[in-house]
Amino acid sequence: MSEALAVETLTSGYGEAMVLRDVTLRVMAGEVLTVLGKNGMGKTTLLKTIMGFLPVRRGQISIFSQSTVGQPPHHLAGRAVAYSPQDQAIFQELTVEENLQLGLPRVTRLAPELKRVAAIFPFLAERRRQLAGTLSGGEQKMLIMARALIARPKLMLVDEITEGLQPSIILRLANVLRQEKSANGTAILLIEQNVSFALSVADRYAVLSRGEVVDQGDAHQPGADTSIAEHLSV
Amino acid sequence: MPDSAALACPVRLPSQRGRTERRLILVFSVIALALAAAGPLLLDTYSISILIRSFLYGAIAVTVDILWGFTGILSFGQAAFFGIGAYALGLSVTQYDFTAPIVTAALIGGPLVAAAAAGLVAWLGFGPKVTPLYISVITLVLSVIFVQMIYSGGDFTGSSSGLSNFDTFDISMEGWFRVAGVFLVAVTAAGWIFVRSDFGRLLVAIRENEQRCRYCGINTARVKTLLLIGSAIITALAGFAYAGYNDVIAPDLGNFQFGTQLVIWVALGGRGTLIGPAVAAVLIDFISAWLSGSLPFIWQLIIGLVFIVVIVLLPQGLGPAVANLFRRGRTRPVAARLAPLPDADAAGSGALPAIQVESVSRNYGSLHVLQDVTFTAGAGELVSLVGPNGAGKTTLIRCLSDGQERSSGRVAIEGNPIGRLAPEACVRFGLGRKFQTPNVFDALTVAESLRIARSRQERLSFVRTADEVRLPAAAMRVVQATGLSSQLGTTVKHLSHGAKQALELAMVLAMEPRVLLLDEPTAGLTKSERSLIGEVLVELVRAHGLCILLIEHDLEFVREISSRIIVLHQGSIVMDGTVEEVTNSELVHTIYAGEPHAVAA
Repeated sequence: MSEALAVETLTSGYGEAMVLRDVTLRVMAGEVLTVLGKNGMGKTTLLKTIMGFLPVRRGQISIFSQSTVGQPPHHLAGRAVAYSPQDQAIFQELTVEENLQLGLPRVTRLAPELKRVAAIFPFLAERRRQLAGTLSGGEQKMLIMARALIARPKLMLVDEITEGLQPSIILRLANVLRQEKSANGTAILLIEQNVSFALSVADRYAVLSRGEVVDQGDAHQPGADTSIAEHLSV
Repeated sequence: MPDSAALACPVRLPSQRGRTERRLILVFSVIALALAAAGPLLLDTYSISILIRSFLYGAIAVTVDILWGFTGILSFGQAAFFGIGAYALGLSVTQYDFTAPIVTAALIGGPLVAAAAAGLVAWLGFGPKVTPLYISVITLVLSVIFVQMIYSGGDFTGSSSGLSNFDTFDISMEGWFRVAGVFLVAVTAAGWIFVRSDFGRLLVAIRENEQRCRYCGINTARVKTLLLIGSAIITALAGFAYAGYNDVIAPDLGNFQFGTQLVIWVALGGRGTLIGPAVAAVLIDFISAWLSGSLPFIWQLIIGLVFIVVIVLLPQGLGPAVANLFRRGRTRPVAARLAPLPDADAAGSGALPAIQVESVSRNYGSLHVLQDVTFTAGAGELVSLVGPNGAGKTTLIRCLSDGQERSSGRVAIEGNPIGRLAPEACVRFGLGRKFQTPNVFDALTVAESLRIARSRQERLSFVRTADEVRLPAAAMRVVQATGLSSQLGTTVKHLSHGAKQALELAMVLAMEPRVLLLDEPTAGLTKSERSLIGEVLVELVRAHGLCILLIEHDLEFVREISSRIIVLHQGSIVMDGTVEEVTNSELVHTIYAGEPHAVAA
């Protein structure tokens, strides 16, 4: 199995608050790693640093065995990396269809790909011409996920996608991510608050606390959830 | 009840900072005034005559910076206000005589006309449904209209050649130098105190997130209108002084080139730094006058090139770049103390329903998001609104808090029909709204945000920074339990997503609402924070008789805290009942746990 993402002794941060210290993580192709942690522990900072939105202060980040330190975000997007951020990540004034088109390389035609993601989220096809800003909060979340999936990425970075989604959709998302992983060998880095969802999808987990990895292990091993719960309740 | 002393941050308090800062302003003002007094002794006549104008321009640049740099109102109309002030003197003196009553009338009348023009512009440009671009366009148009009116005034206004050699004050050039110098120092010092005050932080809050301000019950249109009128008055006074000293006035004074120039000076000096724009305006105008003689055309080109270089290399302007050189090792922004408020009595009348919704519908074109929704909720009820994604839950909350949102139907809050009222008016009926995604002020600190949320209870000072943030118990508990109490001095944009959610909830609770509309208040929070917020909400309902309408997806959470559940599906209420009735119903299981768009109601 090849290595999709390697983060080594990474130190990064911005402003006064959140900082990462000596974080080392690895995600193989066809593997899901979930990063859990309380608020303000550096989870989103980790993703933003990997994507190049924040500078690396120390350490190394490699994607598909190539260092990406210092590269701008659009370089990564061109290398089959899909990032679905937590906040306001859609273009409100564009239609559903146009938002999805932006997830695709310029040459790819939308129609067949739309069909594929609409099988997961049927409303996308029904309301393809609706302005994305008029979708409900949960629907916008689904659109973000669809836009990440539509380009068939090799590495997905997903930030708290279950927030504000109804339980049945969360179940469906878990299925979609598992299938993406096993059928296409996609590597997924999943940031979550929803521990049961995260463990149902992940192969391995890591817990971030104050910018450091304080616990990690096999997501399926018995007792993983109690170990995590301890770290989250402190 | 937490001890306020225990919450104090181990940093200097703003009152101390305020004192040091005020001393600093005093020192600078004295130095500046001394320079203004001594200037005539040190400078040649030409420099003095130019600097008089430059000082007046510097004062106007301060007003442009308060409008644009702090509040986000880009005005090109200061030139017109300046022209109005100048022509007020010129016209009255040429039409009548130079007598004390006439001059006084011009001194008062010019700023009044400018204020009226600003009021009209504000009425057009700060309406409820216009974008910030409108005010820029309208102020630009104002300048054009002003120049056209002067042009078409014939002999009365002197048309294109303007007015000159009218009788004016018998004041020496040195005297005018001092007048203009004092004016500049006074406007800058007053502006500095104003923008650093609590009210000044509100200006930044309006720039950052006007919607949130309005949902804090602040009439932002009125604040912006008063600000524009104030700036018009100061600018017209500068125009009056200019006409009095120069004895020549021309339509150019009010044209939009001048208005644009002011904006460029502010950008070069550094938006939002106040001193930067004042210094930039004085220096550039002064140097321009010197060099336009020796390098007539090249000079404009140089200014243009400098502008481009600054915008590319130092997008914040020269002021901040210079300030950063001196700022090493300075203290970070200071936080305030938290102070608990005594518990307020439950003031709900109980006679009228807290929320009354009658056949409310909302359409977006042919899309029916809400159809004929009717329900009431009373004081002491915690009603949860559940339903699949896209059922219309957030739209319903929007219709309850903004009179412009619904297509038809009636809504009353605590017995007050909201009609077509704007959010800030609905909030005055005792409403508080927490948005789905964090809706906060990124550029402010946590303490400043909380203070702005309390601005209807405790007026914001125009000159001071309060060193306490007084919070009701519920807001205090949220702030402490989520760790925000140790981050009072942190700029909000550096907070995590969950901390922003908690802050917005605390801000809404700080407003002491009687009716709370909460859209997924615990999304992005951990389980323990979630259960704590659940406790706070239940206590608000039971002990203080609030009415809470809550959107939530976590049925577990809903079951624990609700007194009643309403199920919304495809824009209609399909069920409204007790927690047991709803959670045990087959219908809800099909709809809620089922596919969102495949199930027919």
